[in-house]
Amino acid sequence: MSTTRKRVYGYLAEFKSASALYKAAEKVRDAGFSKWDCYTPYPVHGLDAAMGLKRSILPWFVFFGGITGTATAFTLAYVTQVVIYPTVVQAKPTNIFTIPAFFPVMFELTILFSGFTVLFGLLGLIQLPRLNHPLFASKQFHRATDDGFFIAIEARDEKFSPQGTRDLLANIGGENIELVEEEQN
Amino acid sequence: MSHHVTSADIAINGDHLDKSKISRVKTLSFIVAACGTIVSLLALFGVFGEFFQGTYAYSWVFAYYFFLTLSIGGVFWTLLHNVSNSGWGTSVRRTFENLGSTFPWIFLFGIPLLFPQVNQYLFEWMNIHREAGSGSVKEHLHHSDHLLYNKHWFMNIPFWLGRFAFYGIGLSAVIYFLRKLSTTQDTDPNPGVQRLFRARFHSTYTLIVFALTITFTGFDFLMGQDYKWFSTMWGVYLFAGSALNSMAVIVLVTAWLKSKGHLKHVTGPEHFHIMGKLMFAFTTFWAYIAFSQYFLIWYANITEETSYFLIRNTGNWNIGMICLVFLHFVVPFVVLLQAWLKKNPKYLSIVAIYTLCMHALDHYLITIPERGISLGRMNHKVFGDIVPAIPGAFWGDILAFVTLGAAFIFILLRALGQHSLYPNRDPRILESANLSN
Repeated sequence: MSTTRKRVYGYLAEFKSASALYKAAEKVRDAGFSKWDCYTPYPVHGLDAAMGLKRSILPWFVFFGGITGTATAFTLAYVTQVVIYPTVVQAKPTNIFTIPAFFPVMFELTILFSGFTVLFGLLGLIQLPRLNHPLFASKQFHRATDDGFFIAIEARDEKFSPQGTRDLLANIGGENIELVEEEQN
Repeated sequence: MSHHVTSADIAINGDHLDKSKISRVKTLSFIVAACGTIVSLLALFGVFGEFFQGTYAYSWVFAYYFFLTLSIGGVFWTLLHNVSNSGWGTSVRRTFENLGSTFPWIFLFGIPLLFPQVNQYLFEWMNIHREAGSGSVKEHLHHSDHLLYNKHWFMNIPFWLGRFAFYGIGLSAVIYFLRKLSTTQDTDPNPGVQRLFRARFHSTYTLIVFALTITFTGFDFLMGQDYKWFSTMWGVYLFAGSALNSMAVIVLVTAWLKSKGHLKHVTGPEHFHIMGKLMFAFTTFWAYIAFSQYFLIWYANITEETSYFLIRNTGNWNIGMICLVFLHFVVPFVVLLQAWLKKNPKYLSIVAIYTLCMHALDHYLITIPERGISLGRMNHKVFGDIVPAIPGAFWGDILAFVTLGAAFIFILLRALGQHSLYPNRDPRILESANLSN
């Protein structure tokens, strides 16, 4: 006989509505928690501000991704069309003044690189794809994709305490408060 | 967002501009506009000699069309707001309508173009038509200029006059009735939603009137200056500049009203953010269209089409054209990427003023390079030989711009003072006030 030791993920609490969740999120934010998240069936306007989330760094990735695309396209077109194999069409110059002909490629690669940076930058920042999430251990959590509004506060947060966090969630209107433990395999 | 706006925050009888506070600016702009118009009319009808008459005709079209694009854009944003069933802009919709309502008045400044004394310098095709005298115009064109013979179905003076009347009456009626529909709601004890649905319904087919107006005023007043040249992207190009810069004016007006303590509770950083995003979108759209037009003409290399860029991409005009690429597109594109800047009325206003300056450069380069060529070809004894720019004609451009500008400011201030500054009884005013994006 062996005792199974499970790691505690944190508390999960359900809220009645989107507005109840919104108000609760403001209180959790003001209590100073940093490792926690809201789970809703649909996007809630202004919830990022209520959670005190900072602006994402993603736009900067995209900006530099886009610039890389422009530069790549220009280099590609310039080297092939001007340096390696100058192609004279309708007496158009083969030098830097051919640049209008390069614009469509420069435009497209800017878009392509920006798009890729958005997709992969986003996946990287939200750490997807992943095979499992500790919250899936909760029996009620699947309702987050249907009609449930949840807040989960992680145990690794510095302010977390077994009793204090539970009381906080109860005070701000949380129901079905549950200590989620990671499944052992 | 500071707090949730409720109906208690909405001024029940509207938010009215204090007329006494703007009376000085209004009077001043009226005096400048009136004096400028008198001097301009004397100049356009030859009182100061033929040199000034000919060169000033171009100055007049430049300034006239510049301000016309701003007014037409105001109508466009009103129509778009209604037809897209949008809720965000209800609190700034009255500004769209007020800007659009300047159209009938600004359009009247185009009346001198109807007279042969003025349009003989601008539209050479009319002179060739008039050479026919009392005989058949088509017969005359058949022998003198076959291109004009083929274009006769569109380019003939009676149809041109008819189109002129259509632009003036059509779009004026559109904005007059839409604005009336909107402003009568301010005092209606039972506002309801009928006006919302009516505005949405009537904004659909009237968008066609708008599209015809921006496209064909561009064809008739600007492209017609060189009847051999044509570009199918011309209307879209002018529309892009029009939508961008009327939004810049709307930003300026809204920021100004905010600084005077108006539009309290109903507009905030979120509205400026959206308006900034629209400016950003149309900066990009303008560049896209401007480049596409250039690109197609550059690649195809057809004689009739390249003339436009041959004139503008040689000599000193080329500096202006290269400036357009970087200063009308690259700089505002990078600057407007910042979200914090778009949310700040002050910084966004600076960008709006900058954009309007670039719009002036854009329209200067559309109209003025044609002047030296047309006038030199027409009468080199008066205007000198064919040159890129006629020396001294620049002062006329400034006079025309100041005249139209003062008139525009006067008409806009007058419109702003007439009604509440936001539709205070619109069913969507709270949705708009609590905007989050």
